[in-house]
Amino acid sequence: MRGPAAIARSAALDRRAFLRMAGAAWAATLAPDRLFALERSDAVYASGFMAPDGRYGIATVSEKGEIIERVALPARSHGMAFNPVSRHAVAFARRPGTFAMVFDPEGRDTPILMHAAEGRHFYGHGCFSPDGRILYASENDFDGGRGVIGLYDATDDYRRIGEFPTYGIGTHDMTATPDGRFLVVANGGIETHPDFGRTKLNLGRMEPSLALVDAATGALVERHAMPENLRQLSTRHVDLDAEGRVWFACQYEGPRNDLPPLVGHFRHGEPLAFIDLPDEATVALANYVGAIAVNREAGLVGLTSPKGGSVVTLSAATGKVVEQMRTADAAGIAAATTGFAVSSYDGGFAGGRQPVAWDQHILRLG
Amino acid sequence: MVRTALLALAVATSTLPPPAFAMRLEAVPSVLERAVDDFIRPGYRDLHEAAADAARQVSSLCLAPTDDGLQTARGAFDSLVEAWSHIEIIRVGPAIENYRFERFLYYPDRKSIGLKQVQALLAKPDESATDAESLAGKSVAMQGLGALEFVLFGTGSETLSRTPHNFRCRYGAAIAGNLENVSAELTAEWEKPDGVQQAWKHPGPGNPIYRSAEEAVTGLLGILVHSIEATKDQRLQAFYRGPDERTRPKSAIYWRSENTFPSISGNVRAVQDLWKTARMADLLDDEFQSVAGSAEFVMTSVLRVADDVNQPVDELVESKAGRAKLDFLLLNMNDLLDRLNRDYGGAIGLGAGFSFADGD
Repeated sequence: MRGPAAIARSAALDRRAFLRMAGAAWAATLAPDRLFALERSDAVYASGFMAPDGRYGIATVSEKGEIIERVALPARSHGMAFNPVSRHAVAFARRPGTFAMVFDPEGRDTPILMHAAEGRHFYGHGCFSPDGRILYASENDFDGGRGVIGLYDATDDYRRIGEFPTYGIGTHDMTATPDGRFLVVANGGIETHPDFGRTKLNLGRMEPSLALVDAATGALVERHAMPENLRQLSTRHVDLDAEGRVWFACQYEGPRNDLPPLVGHFRHGEPLAFIDLPDEATVALANYVGAIAVNREAGLVGLTSPKGGSVVTLSAATGKVVEQMRTADAAGIAAATTGFAVSSYDGGFAGGRQPVAWDQHILRLG
Repeated sequence: MVRTALLALAVATSTLPPPAFAMRLEAVPSVLERAVDDFIRPGYRDLHEAAADAARQVSSLCLAPTDDGLQTARGAFDSLVEAWSHIEIIRVGPAIENYRFERFLYYPDRKSIGLKQVQALLAKPDESATDAESLAGKSVAMQGLGALEFVLFGTGSETLSRTPHNFRCRYGAAIAGNLENVSAELTAEWEKPDGVQQAWKHPGPGNPIYRSAEEAVTGLLGILVHSIEATKDQRLQAFYRGPDERTRPKSAIYWRSENTFPSISGNVRAVQDLWKTARMADLLDDEFQSVAGSAEFVMTSVLRVADDVNQPVDELVESKAGRAKLDFLLLNMNDLLDRLNRDYGGAIGLGAGFSFADGD
């Protein structure tokens, strides 16, 4: 599970709790097939999708991969965050998008469309503070050429109340530690500017890093730059394990036949530790990990690669490969009751299949 | 007329279901070979020739400055822009190594770094900028097409035809010489039999670029999609973002030499040429050939309108008819992206168009 959903270590949301929170009125509005899906569901997820007609949206999904409800979006979304207190979720526009949609997976409240501040665009990820009061969003100060964390008051219609630096460029994923003290930020190191679309402007001089930022003051706690020989290793996604370690996953911009480390972890006050994956796992991941999730209860770390069409599962304790599977167009990954739920661009989701293209990430609601 | 076409295309886009099948793998090797041998390599050879000619013409102008000589040098610049606009769609491989792309063209230059550096140099001449080799070690913003355009077309360019061996002209000759050198490097890289062309034509394990046929086709289609995106986002939207948005005609690429639209057309024509030359439709099963037909129809429509623009950009954005053309281009470039990314990508089994579009 990624982002704030990783922070709240709650049990899987069961059907009765979901129906109680959702309210009978909302459940009554569901089409019979969707209600059927919900009744059989033990946990729900959310994920962005593209429908066959090219429209974009967010869907809530059962543990069996059945779509429960959909919310339309103005454009393609990317990462999401879950507020463990209000139980709202946020879907961020894919970079360099300028919207974020706050929605209620339980159908009680009307969605809120947020817009990026002047001179900023969303980088596609964010997280909530564990107390649910603040939404942190990874953003690009594109004229300043630096990443920032936008702070939004979740108790006041998501009013923007400030920003922190990320101490890097090309900021992507972020999460908060369970005690709420630190924000963990993956600075991919790749400069982009909305004038150039998604063009990578500095592949020859990338500056990837991982930063720990004080969640109260925005001060830099520690910053881990990639070693000189791995400057083209873009640090993109993070999640936390049960021991409080930060796991990070990377995308390599160097030669395709290099075998760089693609995943690693660190703890506050300690240096980065890269996992020495077997060559066959690195090849299977095609030097490109699209998403990472930790199943804390099972002590597993899951990695997906759409480019390699594979899912690799590691033991969080040893870093050893536990399982390696071929999954064409593997996209999102999130902790399931046992193991992981994996989605794919071609509609696969937790063993089910839907007539949509699932986007890159899955959020576990709870 | 334009408005009707806009609506027709919008409806067509929203009703076309995306097919999702596999590519004809047996057609992949010849598609890749044609892309390399019949588009990329000739494109760099043409660029080298055009750059060499520009270097010759500017040097001749420096030796014997005349108004005719200035016009000839300017014509050589136009031809160089045309050649570059064709092959610049290849934003992978040797073009993005060693800052070659930025050295050839530094754009967009949001902070006008190039203009400031070139003006400062002309105000306070530095002889080391008149030698192509030493110029190559200076700022990328003062050694490429943007700098050469200012020298040949910018304020004060009329002085080029007055005094032999004037500094401005010799600086221009050095820029053209630098572009000749960069294009020679690009040609050499692509002509090496065991170099990048080999990697492109023969994907497989151990290949530094493409480890499978699917990856290679993904890369090839990515060139088309990213080129259309770049032309739309970086070139058109640099000065026109849509109705009721502020226009910025002086942010347009090559506005001084009025090469803005020849360049934009050149980019789209290059996409069409690569598509046709490589015969990318061969990767589709017969029953999905209409996907190719639809993409080609939109390419032709975009080119028809882009070629029809014959006003300077500042006049274009001020006229109703001009803005209608720009709206048409933006809408249809978006449509073309869908045709290539979603419809064609989906039809050859590339994950409903998501796979190659950078999962993030």
